[in-house]
Amino acid sequence: MAQCSPPLDDVFQALAHPTRRAVLSRLGTGPASVGELATPFEMALPSFMKHIHLLEDTGLIRTRKSGRVRTCTLEKGSFDLIETWLDQQRSIWEGRTDRLEHFVTTTHEKEGSE
Amino acid sequence: MTTSQHPELDLTVSRIIKAPRSAVWRAWADPESFEQWWVPAPEICRVREMDLRPGGSFRTEISDDGAEFGQHLSACFLAVDELERIVFTDALVAGYRPAEGSFMTAVITMKDHPDGTEYTATAMHRNGADRDKHEQLGFHEGWGTVTRQLAELVEKPA
Repeated sequence: MAQCSPPLDDVFQALAHPTRRAVLSRLGTGPASVGELATPFEMALPSFMKHIHLLEDTGLIRTRKSGRVRTCTLEKGSFDLIETWLDQQRSIWEGRTDRLEHFVTTTHEKEGSE
Repeated sequence: MTTSQHPELDLTVSRIIKAPRSAVWRAWADPESFEQWWVPAPEICRVREMDLRPGGSFRTEISDDGAEFGQHLSACFLAVDELERIVFTDALVAGYRPAEGSFMTAVITMKDHPDGTEYTATAMHRNGADRDKHEQLGFHEGWGTVTRQLAELVEKPA
């Protein structure tokens, strides 16, 4: 899966900015217009649009323009990438913890019975 | 405990281990014991350095056949509280010297529990950019699936 998956680095890059994380978090509750998303930030609209474009280029969000309003929607599938990677990490640590547990309990029982 | 800027990159594994804290600590702090559970069978782990003190070197190697070993973990201990806590990172090597690549910091804690020891491992990852590196390090998908296998091996009395 490493070779054929979309650029995971880009996903992490996109997540590495508080503004973009806040946007994603807001979009988690449902689609919103760019104007609505920009309101909480003290930022010029062109700067804010850069964040929106980056999120869109990474595939984390979709945008659709209708008249003068651009609406953003979260692209949930792209988050699976991170989950897969983190799931691998988790399974490594769970495996270690399983083995540690077995090692400790069996060693301890052996010592106790001697 | 720790403030995370990337909670989506952190993971925590907790387990109640039915043994006293001293036994869990020994399994971690004694290199010969550590080698027996750190990697999944049939891979073999070898501890090169485990200098359990802040700034101490922590280096392990891994092998599929027991003949040829490759670098696995190259890290530095940040905090070592006997019977309680071990913190290490691969962002540094011995003596807090900055390392080439940085992938994660791990916090291991052990607490008394009515049934034994509450063991918690938290791994905080820098980002996913090192995924290729982590594959080079010998991590493979599906490691979790072979854990029971090794558990059985370890369980067999020597």
